[in-house]
Amino acid sequence: MNTALKYRRVAVTILSIIAAVALQTTLFVRLRPFDAAPALVILVVIGLARHLPSELALLTGFSAGLLEDLLSQSPLGLWALTLTTVAYFVVRVRDRMEEDFSLLAPFVFALTLGAITLFAVLGTIFGEKTLADAGFVRKILVPSIYNLALAGAVLPFFTWALGARAASSPYQT
Amino acid sequence: MWRPTNVDRPTGVFIGLIIVSLVLVTVDLRASGAGLGGTLREGAQAVFTPIQRVVSSGARPVVDFFEDLSDIFSLRGENRRLRTEVIELERSLDEARGLELRIAELEAILGLEPPEELDSVVAQVLAVGVSEFDHSRVIDRGRADGITVDMPVVDEGGLIGRIIATTDEVARVRLITDPSIRVAVRIERTGETGVLTGRGSSPMVLEMFNTDAAVVEGDTLITADGRFPAGIPVGRVLEPARSEVGFSLRTTAEPTAQTTRIDLVRVLVFTRDQVGIQDLEELERPPIVIPSEEEPAEGESEEGLPTETSIPTGEGEGQGVTGGADEQGGEGGGGGG
Repeated sequence: MNTALKYRRVAVTILSIIAAVALQTTLFVRLRPFDAAPALVILVVIGLARHLPSELALLTGFSAGLLEDLLSQSPLGLWALTLTTVAYFVVRVRDRMEEDFSLLAPFVFALTLGAITLFAVLGTIFGEKTLADAGFVRKILVPSIYNLALAGAVLPFFTWALGARAASSPYQT
Repeated sequence: MWRPTNVDRPTGVFIGLIIVSLVLVTVDLRASGAGLGGTLREGAQAVFTPIQRVVSSGARPVVDFFEDLSDIFSLRGENRRLRTEVIELERSLDEARGLELRIAELEAILGLEPPEELDSVVAQVLAVGVSEFDHSRVIDRGRADGITVDMPVVDEGGLIGRIIATTDEVARVRLITDPSIRVAVRIERTGETGVLTGRGSSPMVLEMFNTDAAVVEGDTLITADGRFPAGIPVGRVLEPARSEVGFSLRTTAEPTAQTTRIDLVRVLVFTRDQVGIQDLEELERPPIVIPSEEEPAEGESEEGLPTETSIPTGEGEGQGVTGGADEQGGEGGGGGG
């Protein structure tokens, strides 16, 4: 991988995470169909982790989660743990996914669902009242469906933005 | 046999990051959200606020467009309802004006000072929480505008929540729908008191202390004295209350404020009165000593034979409608600001 492509990937990664967190926290103040919003940051982490080297993918998940923790009232490290796990799952199965959307879409749905559930369970273990939320099922299902719908646009964007097709082996570790 | 060398590099990094995350969670929980975690949060929010302002101002027209689009179908019905409401409100306004005059006259006769109105700061919602389980909003006014932690936040419908964290430029509001928030309320019609607990996006739970008092659908709940100023509308009862094992009446209520579509809000410049603060301070002290009514035994001083009585914490038993009644169940830990 040449140096220009490396810098490009780092820049795209940092800007994407900041943009995703900014959009997640501002765009959905009032725009909340069915009283829920897409989990943009999870989707962006999935999109990035598919093409970044393994360690960088894991650090990306961790950093994105830490930023979310710092901008919320959840215990510091909870989102970091959740998104690192998401990145790890993507790193483990990405070479079986390729660009086949019929496989990617259910994967995005399942991973979003799993990530929000993991966050809710960990939150409850660490003293938050996430599972006490009576709308729990809806709150994990609706964002997962939104992510499923958005995956068709977001994932190809990251394939292009990270220059994954240009690189000799996007999945090198 | 398993050896550390069997673990590939990504898995090793993953395990390392998970351990770092768990350490962070533990340290933050031990510090109750203050300390290093609190400082980092405040710093991150201060750095991120300009970005949120830019994105928010850019996103506002888009959001307005979609909101208008969704509203367009309900406009006719809404218009008819509002016309009826205007007529009723005009009639109420006339009555209120008459009553105001009469109250002023009576106050003048009795030499009473009229109650002071609470000052308020108008703010706009800048950001929402990062997840669906984060029942908080960030507003675009902070310490520089005189906003401090614990101040109540209302909109035209009623109580929305309270301030839990501030920076110089912004403040974070925890909504009344958060499962960790409990609000001491009074039924406007009967004056009976109870506690309202948030349950996320589902209707809130209302528990009434008096099991004999009737609670009917449509009853308006207002704040009782305590953490919030008394008399602010909080919710509306959704169904008649039913007795629960004889200890309390239980039912559900919905917030009177539009908690899912909050835009402009007012922060009331109100801090708990001295009585409320004393009550809360006393919760952290050792149990109060109440002298026994029995005669002291021979040879003992009159201060002897104390009966220890704990003040109700508001969390479980007998939540009196004082400052302690508005307990924030899980706020001590990471949930607290």
